[in-house]
Amino acid sequence: METTPPEKSSSSSPDNQNVVSSEPESSNTLIENEDRKHPDVEGEIKEVHVEHEESSSAAPGGDAGEEDSNLDSVSDEIDRFLSLLSSMKDKSTPPDIPDYVDVFCKLVEMQIFTYDSGDASARFGCNPDEDSRFLESVNRISKLTNEITQFRSANTYYMVSLNRTSSVLQLAMTFLEDEFRALLEVSNSEGLKNEDSNARALKAKQPSFNFNSNSNSNQESSNGLPKTESDNPEENSSPYSPEVVARLNKIAIAMISGGFEAECCHVYIMIRHHTMREAMSRMGFEKMSLDDVHKMNWDYLEQEINRWCNIVKETLTLVFSTERNLIEAVFSEYPSIYQTHFKDLARNVIIKLLNFAEGVSMTKQALEKLFRVLDMFETLRDLNLKINEASYSDEEWENELKSEICTPASRLGEMAYCIFCDLEGSIKRDTGKTPVPFGGHHPMIRWIINYLRVLSDYKDSMEELFELHQKSNEQHDETAESDDPLNDSKTLHPSNNNNKNHRNNHNQKTKKMSGFRAQWMLIMDCVDKVAEAKSKLYKDPSLRYIFLMNNGRYMLQKIKESSEMQELVGDAWMKKWSSDLRTFHKNYQRETWGRLLQCLNQEGLQVNGKVYKPALKERFKNFNAMFDEIHKTQGQWVVTDSQLQSELRVSISAVIIPAYRSFLARFSQYLDPGRQTEKYIKLQPEDIENAIEELFEGSGHLSMARKKT
Amino acid sequence: MPATEGSFIGRSILSIRRNRVNSIDGSPEQELEDLELFQKHVSDRFTDLLHCQLPQPPASPVGDSSSASPGDGTAAISAVDNILSIAWLRKLLDSFLCCEAEFKAVLVIGRDPSQFTKPPLDRLVPELHDRTVKALDVCNAISHGLESIRHWQKLAEIAFLALQQSPFSDGQVRRARKALNVLITSMALDEKESYSNKTTERNWSFGRRGGAAAAHREQNIGYFRSLSWGVSKTWSASKQIQAMATNLCAPRGNEANAAAQAVYIMGVVLAFVMWALVATIPCQERMGLASHLPIPRNVGWAQSMFGLQEKIAEEWKRKEKKGSAGLLEELQKIDKLGQSLFELANSYSYPPEEQKVEEIIALVGEVADTCRKMEEGLIPLQRQVREVFHRIVRSRTEVLEIIDQVGKLSSPMN
Repeated sequence: METTPPEKSSSSSPDNQNVVSSEPESSNTLIENEDRKHPDVEGEIKEVHVEHEESSSAAPGGDAGEEDSNLDSVSDEIDRFLSLLSSMKDKSTPPDIPDYVDVFCKLVEMQIFTYDSGDASARFGCNPDEDSRFLESVNRISKLTNEITQFRSANTYYMVSLNRTSSVLQLAMTFLEDEFRALLEVSNSEGLKNEDSNARALKAKQPSFNFNSNSNSNQESSNGLPKTESDNPEENSSPYSPEVVARLNKIAIAMISGGFEAECCHVYIMIRHHTMREAMSRMGFEKMSLDDVHKMNWDYLEQEINRWCNIVKETLTLVFSTERNLIEAVFSEYPSIYQTHFKDLARNVIIKLLNFAEGVSMTKQALEKLFRVLDMFETLRDLNLKINEASYSDEEWENELKSEICTPASRLGEMAYCIFCDLEGSIKRDTGKTPVPFGGHHPMIRWIINYLRVLSDYKDSMEELFELHQKSNEQHDETAESDDPLNDSKTLHPSNNNNKNHRNNHNQKTKKMSGFRAQWMLIMDCVDKVAEAKSKLYKDPSLRYIFLMNNGRYMLQKIKESSEMQELVGDAWMKKWSSDLRTFHKNYQRETWGRLLQCLNQEGLQVNGKVYKPALKERFKNFNAMFDEIHKTQGQWVVTDSQLQSELRVSISAVIIPAYRSFLARFSQYLDPGRQTEKYIKLQPEDIENAIEELFEGSGHLSMARKKT
Repeated sequence: MPATEGSFIGRSILSIRRNRVNSIDGSPEQELEDLELFQKHVSDRFTDLLHCQLPQPPASPVGDSSSASPGDGTAAISAVDNILSIAWLRKLLDSFLCCEAEFKAVLVIGRDPSQFTKPPLDRLVPELHDRTVKALDVCNAISHGLESIRHWQKLAEIAFLALQQSPFSDGQVRRARKALNVLITSMALDEKESYSNKTTERNWSFGRRGGAAAAHREQNIGYFRSLSWGVSKTWSASKQIQAMATNLCAPRGNEANAAAQAVYIMGVVLAFVMWALVATIPCQERMGLASHLPIPRNVGWAQSMFGLQEKIAEEWKRKEKKGSAGLLEELQKIDKLGQSLFELANSYSYPPEEQKVEEIIALVGEVADTCRKMEEGLIPLQRQVREVFHRIVRSRTEVLEIIDQVGKLSSPMN
């Protein structure tokens, strides 16, 4: 059997190449090259087209059915030839190359042109059977190219054939690469719509804790930060339909097994990185320089932090489930490929996210930053936990990322620790000397207690931070003795402190009070002292006790609302605090109402067993005046807690009404009915009861306001 | 190399420590002695960098003949002894880390912390910290630039793997040509920050969809940029360097004590190293980079640094006009070799002339060699840039902690 004469084969690619090389060689610049490049490819395609027409006209009845059967039989021949070639030990004396190699090449080319003809129904993906046959053919042509390559030095026919098969292989691979790219791109935009809605859901802003606000109760209640987990029901949703993923997978297998792994992965990575970037910028991820973060004012930065925390959570879902599932599905046959590229993608995204955390961790610490800093710390801690799941047991990768995460996390943690410890100092530094009018809630006490209330939600993190701080101090002591003064003691080394961690936990548990709780109690003491100091600003002892009751009650209520706070302050404190409040109450009763009761004392009214009328008149006059005064003054005072208000009223009524009633019963008869009675007995027990109901209404606020305007 | 560098740090720190131990309270004499030592080490390290004699790659005769082609850049680079190669950059960063460690020792160890809250340190240290924040942004931009380089490396690898063995088949030549086209185009994209349509009217995708290729182009640019995204659009490497260099002047008069001198020296080292990185690695917006650095000309410790700056700036000026992805030796080589190889591949036909095959083999050998250097060097360099980043942050935090404690001690607590 004669080998294909080179003249026939050379009518395809070598000729084509000659056309190319006949173009002016002087074109040195890139642009000229590029301009030339395009027609070149077009030329290539046209050329093969022409040839395809020739061959189909040469083969009579070139309809599709015949081509199919043709392809099958040629494929069988090719397979036989392939096994013949691979069985050859001596690569220097190859068998002749059969004609059907060229026929096969033409058939593959024809298929590509059919796919590319612009006929929508003929495109790749429309006919799965045909696609499979095509991918098989590509596989065959790749094997054929590889086998022929081994013999290429043996004779020129082989080289000519190699030129032919390798060109078709290159054409097929370029086709597949474009197809792969188009699939990734087209479905991309559909996937993005999903991501869009997720991003929108993220826009809901977390409430902020405003240091300066004299917050009303509405605001306060919203300060209990909702720590929302954005549970995405579509967590595992792929941006591509299962059919598309299956097609991507098939193309990936064809390209990689054909030796085109680099091209395949390059396209994949380019597009998925790009998608990731787009998704993140839709979530509102701004690429801020550290310089910007450093200079940003707090209000703005706070919003950015809220947004960042959400973006991290959302991105993690995207990366660790969506992207990971996708890459594992597309490259399912090649674990080392998907592992490498997934780890690259994840690392890339995480490092980018961390940059903002680095920036925030370098800003100055301030009381109002505590909760946002803790949010970030917790976000990073969660991220750190995720790393294990995604590392494919690559310890080096895992450790690198963990240390990247832990570096800003430990600084943020240290920052939170310092801010909280500084709270005590800030409270002590307050030197305000203006009493709150009418014994109401002191803004600072209210601020502190609300601050603590929010902080109690972060109890676990704070406990952890106190432990870490203690541990790092211990390490610091150790390293201080060691030789290297620059040894880093502040970062959490993720890999090597498991043992220490364990030991420390043990220590913590055996201790009675955690560092955090101890510090917390110091602050409670501080608040206690603040309340006492502020109460001394009032001259009226009754008002002093009302102030103490008001604020004490406020704290107690706030603490009771939160189980974390109750746990932190402990039963003993609660008991002591409640009993203090009772004492304040008693003292108040004595200060205000004890004096009034003096007027109703029977002693001194009788002289020689007879009621002494002028004294009685004096008593009634005093009582009326004193009660009026109390009613007027204490009606202005504020007791916002309605329970405390009614407790006070009830206890007052319980003391005053019966005493007054019995006083009236005993002594009203001694006054002349009519004018005298009217003059001295101005108040009936019911009037007193009503008047007591008007106490602590805070009417003073209104009258004060009126005076001011 | 890392081992020797490490012991070098150890030794210099220890010598400073030992001196400090001898006189526990840092007397002025002691401080001056430490400063002199610091200056000497800075000078030594940069002198090493200036006279960097890294082993030259074996020059192949055919490679030399190809380097005679017009617009060649390799000759100029070999004239400065492989300064600006990946290996040199790693040495530069090693030197930076050493200087930094030593600086911190000079600044912190044995110093009465209250000095930080008094002139001149109360002004100079915050100024240095401002500079360091800017340096961190540069480090980030460099990390992203290195990411781009790695992708170019991958494209170059496709080309040399395709052309590894001769005789070359048509398919292999086409494959190489395709990868090289993407490589050259994307490098050119990065070179021109503001590119007009005309210069980018190139087909990226070699796809059979001739017409669609142009539509793909925009998308492709986006993809490629996504690989190295990270800084905001308005960020400018050049402005950042400029900002680092403002107010960077030697302390004078009664401010010129040892600590102030050390802060100044560190500021210059920091600015220089960041400047060199920006010139070398692809970075956003680098207009007028050649002129920004106030390195003192006639001071002993700065002489070598000044020499390096002159060499690099000269190189930059030469390349800036043409537009350059960066002065990194390997990058320049890949660019140059990629273009030559692309031209050769374009005019390749079977049966080839003997000479052409040899030229290709030689070029492919050089590409392979460069890719190998990138493969070996880029990831360690990337890690080192991160290390510099973390070191800067950590040092900053440590100094701030000291200052913080002084603040707490001095403010009365009730």
